[in-house]
Parts: sequence; C-alpha cells; structure tokens
Amino acid sequence: MTPVAWRWLVALLIVLLLLPLVIPAFFVLLLIEIAILALFATAFNLLMGFGGMVSFGHAAYFALGAYTAALLVKKAGVAMLLALAAAPLVAAAGALFFGVFIVRLTATYFAMLSLACGQIVFTIIFKWTSLTGGDNGLLNVWPPPLLKAPAAYYYFTLAVVGLSILALHAIVQSPFGYALKAVRENPRRARFIGVNVRRHQLIAFVLSGFFSGLAGGLFAFFNGSVFPDFAYFNKSFEPLVVVLLGGMQSFFGPLAGALGFKVLETFIARQWPIYWPLFLGIVVIAVVVLLPRGFVGLLEARTWRIGPARRK
Amino acid sequence: MEFLAGLFPWITNGPLILVQVMSGLSVGMFLFLVSVGMSLIFGVTRIVNLAHGSFYMVGAYLMVTLIEGLPEHPLRFWGALLLAPLGVAVLGGLIEVALLRRIYGRDPLMQLIVTFGLILIIGTLVLIVWGPDNKSVPRPEALAGSVRILGQPFPSYYLLVLGLAPLVAVCLWLIFYRTRWGMLIRAATVDREMLGALGVDVSRLYTEVFMFASWLAGLGGALAAPTVAVALGMDGDVLITAFVVVVIGGLGSFAGSFISALLVGELQSFGILIIPAISIVLLFALMAVVLVVRPWGLLGRPEE
Repeated sequence: MTPVAWRWLVALLIVLLLLPLVIPAFFVLLLIEIAILALFATAFNLLMGFGGMVSFGHAAYFALGAYTAALLVKKAGVAMLLALAAAPLVAAAGALFFGVFIVRLTATYFAMLSLACGQIVFTIIFKWTSLTGGDNGLLNVWPPPLLKAPAAYYYFTLAVVGLSILALHAIVQSPFGYALKAVRENPRRARFIGVNVRRHQLIAFVLSGFFSGLAGGLFAFFNGSVFPDFAYFNKSFEPLVVVLLGGMQSFFGPLAGALGFKVLETFIARQWPIYWPLFLGIVVIAVVVLLPRGFVGLLEARTWRIGPARRK
Repeated sequence: MEFLAGLFPWITNGPLILVQVMSGLSVGMFLFLVSVGMSLIFGVTRIVNLAHGSFYMVGAYLMVTLIEGLPEHPLRFWGALLLAPLGVAVLGGLIEVALLRRIYGRDPLMQLIVTFGLILIIGTLVLIVWGPDNKSVPRPEALAGSVRILGQPFPSYYLLVLGLAPLVAVCLWLIFYRTRWGMLIRAATVDREMLGALGVDVSRLYTEVFMFASWLAGLGGALAAPTVAVALGMDGDVLITAFVVVVIGGLGSFAGSFISALLVGELQSFGILIIPAISIVLLFALMAVVLVVRPWGLLGRPEE
C-alpha cells in the first residue's frame, strides 16, 4: 500500500475507535454487523475477485463457523474465545472437504456444485434436530459479561475483523496471492510456468472458508442465537451482492460494499422484510445488465480466459 | 443376508420394494421434466438457468390457483394441467425477451448471477401472490384412490405419472429428431453462428426454446402439485436435485437426463428407507463419484 493509503487507513481506524463514544447503541450494533459482513465479503472476494471462482454456497462456511461456536459454548461449555477460535477451523475443514470436489470444476459447474454443497450443509443443519435444534436454532449464545455491552463487543469485533482483513491483505500480496491471480487470468499458462492450479484454488477455497467461518463465529455471539437460515442460499447471495456493489477488483471494495449493503438493509429489510430478497435480486441483475462497462466490465474483459470460447 | 435384513427390515418385503421402485420412477419423471429443460436451454443458449426450479414452483402454484378458480367440472383438473404449464411458458418467454436476451455471450459467471437473482425475485413474488402457507392440490376424482400392487396400496395418481413418463420422452425424441424445429435446435447446439449465417432467425429460436423448456418445468410442477405440499422452498429443492441429475447425466445430453433422472428418483425413494433424515447426502455421494470419474457426466461431452 502507498503511504497515502496507510494515512487514510489510520484516519479511518481512529474514526472507528471514537465512533461508539458519540453515536447511539443502535448504530454501534449496526457497525458490528457491517464489520462482520465486511470480513465475510472480503473472504468471499478472495475467491471471486482474486481467484476468479464464484461460490454460490458460501453461507455454508459462515454457518459452520456460527454453529461450531454456538454448539461448543452451549453443549460443551467451552470458553467463548476458544469456541470462537474453533469456528474458523471447522469451517476450513468443511471447505476442504467440499473444496476437493468443487475446485475440480470450472466456472458454471464450480458455481453450481458449490450451491449444491451449501444446500447439503443447510439440510444437515436443518434436519439434525437433536444436535442443532433444527428450525428453532440455538438460543442464548452470548459472550461473557465483559464483552456483552455493545461498545465492548464492537471493539472486540473491530480487532478480530481488522486483523483478519490485514491477514487477507497479506495473503493477496504474497507470492501465493500473485500465483492465484495468475491462475485466474490464465490457468493454462499458469500451469506451464509450474503453478499447481488445483492446489492454489483449493488453498484459496479453504482460506476463504476459514475467514467466512470466523465471521460466522463472530456473528453467533453478536446475534446471541444461530439458525439454519445462516446456511440457506439466500444468505450466500449477500457477500456476492456486497462484492458486486463494492467492486470485485479492489481489495478494499467489499468494505465499502458492506457499508452500503447494511445501510440499505437497515432501511429496506427492517421496513419491508419480505421485499428484501426481491430488492437484492433486482439490484444484482441491474448491476450486471446495465453496467457492463463498470467494474463488471473489468471481469468481462477476461472472459476469453475463462471456460469455453466466447461467442460474439 | 440376515445382517442386511436386520439393518434394513424392508429388504425382504418384495411388494414394498416394488412400490418404492415405482414411486422412485415417478419422482424421476418430475426431475426429468425440469432437468431436460435446463439441459435444453444450456445446449442452445449456453446459459445455465438457475431459475428453472422457480418455474417448476410457479407451475405448481398456478395449478393451485387454477383448480380453485375454474368452475366445478369433471375435466377441471385436466384443464388446469393444460393451462398451468402454458402460463409458465409465457412467464419464461417474457423473462427471455426482457432480460436474458441482453446477456447472451457475456461472462458465464455474470449469466449465473443474473439467473440466481431471478430465483430471489420469483421466490419473493410467489410469496407476495400466494402467501407463506403451504397449499395442496386435490387429485382428480378418477385417480384419487389407490390400486393394490402385490397387496401393497399404490396411489393411482402415480400410475398416470408413470404412464406419462415414456410418452413425454418419446414425444421429445420425436420433436428433436423428426421435426424441422428439433433439427434447428440440434444445429444451434453445435454451431449457432453457422445457423444464423444460413438465414435462421436464431434470436426467435432462443425465445422458443426458452419457452418450451419453461413449459416442461411448468408441466413438471403442475403434475407434481397433487403429490407434494406446494410450498415456498420447492424451487431450491428441485433446483438442487435437478442439478444433480444434470451433472450425473451430462449437461446438454437428453438421454443422459432421462437415465439419471430415473436413477436419482430411485436413489431418493430408497434413500428415505436407508437414512431417512439426510437422504440428500446419498445423492451428493453419487454426484461426487460421477464428478471424480467422469466430470462431464455419464453421457455428456467434456467442457472446452
């Protein structure tokens, strides 16, 4: 990052640290949600923006993290921090299990198999009532008293999300990140220069699952309860919309996207909850259809490198 | 054998197995109608229509409305069965003309995102129009009872479905291989530019194919409506299963869709006996095996 970017980041951090002192609790809670969504979307964008892989089932890893944290605290009596640490590990294990099959495929098949895997996780969570409570979810999953106040959990979330995003940034900037971009740009050429394409894609998938699971764990303690809906495919749509709104080619785009998304959600979903998916669908279709030369155009410019030949 | 019988008490129950086989075949029939449409759209337009499960759901909901709305008459059910899929075909045509026509030739990922967006839009519209409660469709009077097969009761409505299955398959085969329109579809699957260069109105053909495929999905939904609870989650469920069918059979292969739809129907039917709660895991396992051994499906062609 350039020194200017660093300066902006430090300024943003100071603002974020001071905000809870001046704004009402409602907005502090909203900021926590934004931070968690930003982490989820940044993890998703590691796949979509930097790996050229669109997953339609990422809610599964978010839900695996959320349910791991909730189950450990509720059923095993594990301390909150330990449960939160286990959340991304279980999600990463899930991502590894499904990823082995998913990354064998490209573009369309990749997206569809990830959707199928996501629905399988949803079905297991939904049907395994004795463990997960099925439709009723798991209630009363709260952090210890020290972190229970909105401001306290806000600072905690900010620290975890901030460190995770820095870690993701380091991943994108590392030799691995560059190799991943090479795989996105031209898998065949990447293979010729000695990059193991499948392995890079699988590692990216697992890393993305890891941080999605961490976001899920953070959300479980924020929400105080977990539900099968977390794994449903509507939920998988959220990081996709966030990334489309923020711009998939920039690393920090999803942060802006998460802010915009949550503000819209606060105004629309709370007012007319049943219209919210309708709105999401329309926004995404509008972005894709009407802005082919916007940030979507950037992705389109490399169409010839993905999948079958493009017809004119 | 005794071990097996201990594990699965039904395994020595011949008549039960027969009934299970037949209900698996009828589930396979619904799946075939949806997946052959998906396959057809993909073959011609190269778009994977994720909203195809939504068309199936709309077909079932239209059936609910038509049965309630049409006057009491012995032929009411059959009239609804005729009209509901037509309604879905019109819906499909509108979507193709207004939306999908703009994204042919675009990045496949963007096309997927658009059809995924359609799922959300159609799902919400169905919720707004029909409300959140499950609906049910009565079976036609003539087929409301059940017949005994080897002493086991078997709903006679399923016999209709089983009778229709080969009929629809044969009709599709005749359409694809014995009509000019079918020939155009097959030609478009191979080389659309050449077809356009030869003077065929490809744009119109796309719309026709999309409407036909929507009609098939609507027919599947309308036929399935009396056998299931017509509910909001139908779209996702059938999409996932149809996807499994398409992956196993091979995207773009009609015979593959037929064989794998019946296979998946059977697997679902017996999966409920083997691991009742999560029979979908069996499907996934089968799909994973196919993906590892033949990623392009049993009868499909490799990508690229």
